Amino acid sequence: MSPHAAETAESSRTRGKGRPRNSETAAPSLVEILNLIRTERATTRQALERESELGRAVVADRLQLLADLGLVDESELGLATGGRAPRLVRFAARRGLVLVATLDQTAIGVGVSDLSGNLLTEHHEAADLTAPVAHLASRLATLFRWCLERQSIPTAPWGISLSVPGTVPSLRDGAFMTATPPVLPAWADFPLVETLTRQFGVPVWMRSSVETMTMGELHAGAGHGLRSMLFIKVGRRIGAGIVCDGQLYRGAQGAAGLIGALPVQSDGLTGTLDAMAGSDMIQREGRAAADTGRSPVLADLLRRGSEITPIEVSQAAQIGDPAAVAILSKSGHLIGQVVATLANALNPDLIVMSGTLAQTNDILLAGIREAVYGASHPLVTRDLRIIRSQMGSSAGLVGAARVASEAIFAPAFLKDWIIQGKPTLHPDFAAYCARAQIAEVPQSVAAPPSVQERIAP
Amino acid sequence: MTISGLGPHGERAAPPERVSLLPEDIAAVKAATRRVAIVLHTLDGDWTRLQISGMLGVFGDCGVVVTEVVDCGFSADRQVAELDRLIAANPDAIVALPVANEQVAAAFGRVSAAGIRLVLLENVPTGLLPGSHYTSLVSSDNFGLGRMAAAGLAPHLAQGAAVGVLGFAADFFATNEREIAFTNWMQANRSDVQTHVLRFGAVDEAADLAERLIADHPEISAFFVVWDTPAMAVSTRFAEAGRSIVIATVDLGEDVAISLATGKPFVSVAAQQPFQQGVVAARTTILALLGRTIPAWIALPGVPVTRDNVADSFQIIWRKPAPREVLRSLGLTP
Repeated sequence: MSPHAAETAESSRTRGKGRPRNSETAAPSLVEILNLIRTERATTRQALERESELGRAVVADRLQLLADLGLVDESELGLATGGRAPRLVRFAARRGLVLVATLDQTAIGVGVSDLSGNLLTEHHEAADLTAPVAHLASRLATLFRWCLERQSIPTAPWGISLSVPGTVPSLRDGAFMTATPPVLPAWADFPLVETLTRQFGVPVWMRSSVETMTMGELHAGAGHGLRSMLFIKVGRRIGAGIVCDGQLYRGAQGAAGLIGALPVQSDGLTGTLDAMAGSDMIQREGRAAADTGRSPVLADLLRRGSEITPIEVSQAAQIGDPAAVAILSKSGHLIGQVVATLANALNPDLIVMSGTLAQTNDILLAGIREAVYGASHPLVTRDLRIIRSQMGSSAGLVGAARVASEAIFAPAFLKDWIIQGKPTLHPDFAAYCARAQIAEVPQSVAAPPSVQERIAP
Repeated sequence: MTISGLGPHGERAAPPERVSLLPEDIAAVKAATRRVAIVLHTLDGDWTRLQISGMLGVFGDCGVVVTEVVDCGFSADRQVAELDRLIAANPDAIVALPVANEQVAAAFGRVSAAGIRLVLLENVPTGLLPGSHYTSLVSSDNFGLGRMAAAGLAPHLAQGAAVGVLGFAADFFATNEREIAFTNWMQANRSDVQTHVLRFGAVDEAADLAERLIADHPEISAFFVVWDTPAMAVSTRFAEAGRSIVIATVDLGEDVAISLATGKPFVSVAAQQPFQQGVVAARTTILALLGRTIPAWIALPGVPVTRDNVADSFQIIWRKPAPREVLRSLGLTP
């Protein structure tokens, strides 16, 4: 057994008889107090006593323990309201870091966030997701190490959170991922989750890109503070993120919001929304309009040797090319019809449109707005706002960071690591690591010793 | 030329043509007197001079008054203080190059909260979003510059060579991109080459760090330095020590151009187009003042420069004839 595992096994063992340890009885109140501080529902000792309904001595004792663990900081003074200024109790969000990444078909983004989900560093670069997964894992590891090196105060990571281009099944057992879900066909043959866990010694979480972007928009973007929101991502596929009562709704299998699979009709043809309105359709129809000369702008681009991608079609539409305008308008109307159905079912405060086309093309957005306003109950659209996302791919990184921080501090997970001081010492994770260590780390992706020292937990 | 990098939030680049000014835009902006402040990391160097010159020309043509050009001396504290002072002065717009990331983010947030249009150059502090915190970022394709420098250096590297990479310690979008792109290009195209990275916090540390890298890895035969001023410092230090190395960098400063023309130690330069960038930044600011829709990231491609094209590239980039030493080394003048 590794020293790491021995330490945790000892501390989590319950006594056979006699009084329980202080640490065993303290955990529930520690969890409650830490989460009150972390979510800023209580920022002074008095507020903590009031919110937790615990006595002054208990709150003082737990705060001392949390301070010893480095999880809270009481060095700041608040505003005096007559008498002495109260000491503010702050969550030490820099105690650990979260490594985050977004993987989509053509780009990867990486970043580092603090434990409250605030992004500290980010970088995006073009990538080919159809390349071998080992290359992708190696590139991710290189960029994660680069992100950690960039931090002015070297701090250990506490978790990795990935945003991926496909549905991630809900975890049935356990609080973190222990196997790589087959989100993409190639992942069946490569243990991405296991490799990252082994290299960085931290738990891994994963969500679909629509889910992470929805979380990002909800916590740091236009949806901040809202209880009900729809997030629609338009790309090759079209998906929806659903926020009800301030929470992301994942559904029974983690597959809520797959609206791209719904059948729609246009020009006498029936097909899925993905096929009839997604960026593949825009590219295909744009190319046809260039070939036949229906679109003078696209035909000119083609003559100059330019490729016709959805971006070109979108730009042509923006400058008034009639054929391109018709293509984007058709896509917008079809998406709008489906979104209207969802809006009538959920009555959101806000609909956020995301994806390169939705964020840059006015005609597409106008088509969506027209269809939603035209096909919805007046009460649903009375105060409804339909806007484009301003966050770009950062939404995915910010959202992935929130996924990790919510998972790390979920009461059921937190209660078993809080006494140890960090989630990497959670008994289940330590046991998983001990099993995973048996497999050898591939040399090509192992961290150099100097880096391993710096990031050692 | 295509843009190989992605924006600070993963945006695809918009070309500079996207922010051209029509006669009616110029007429509209001239209808009222607008005040703009320019806040830069430093006022030293050719890059800054050309960038300002590009901006001033366009602003002048459009009747926009530049009230001040602020030098932040690479200091985050000074930039924060200057921004707070400018918020009180309340110009219509600020064009600024953020010198750091986290330390200055809140101050830039205060600028946009005060209703002042903000156009950023080269760098976006993490957490600030286009549309809500700033209007647009205008920058070079810094990822492309890093790749370009690597591709230009590669033919000068023997099989299994080692390269010292000197990055910038501040968390800065432009230099981060160059460093990542350089090492990424080497891994992808010259996997035999080893790269060893150190990062300097101030320009005058660069030469010391280069010596430390050589002491730790005596096999290093080449350097990539993320911009030209520290690269020149490294070049001078090794010339004094009589050590032969080759260097790749970003930006075609005058001294670098002279060195490039002689064939050593500079062999590959990925140059920005600072004048053009200034022009684009000013046009972006004017469109922002008029409330037009503007892309989140406007990127300008770099210019790959080697000994073969240093004289004409110098003219394109600096809008003046190449230095006499360059022309003489190339045999173009007696």
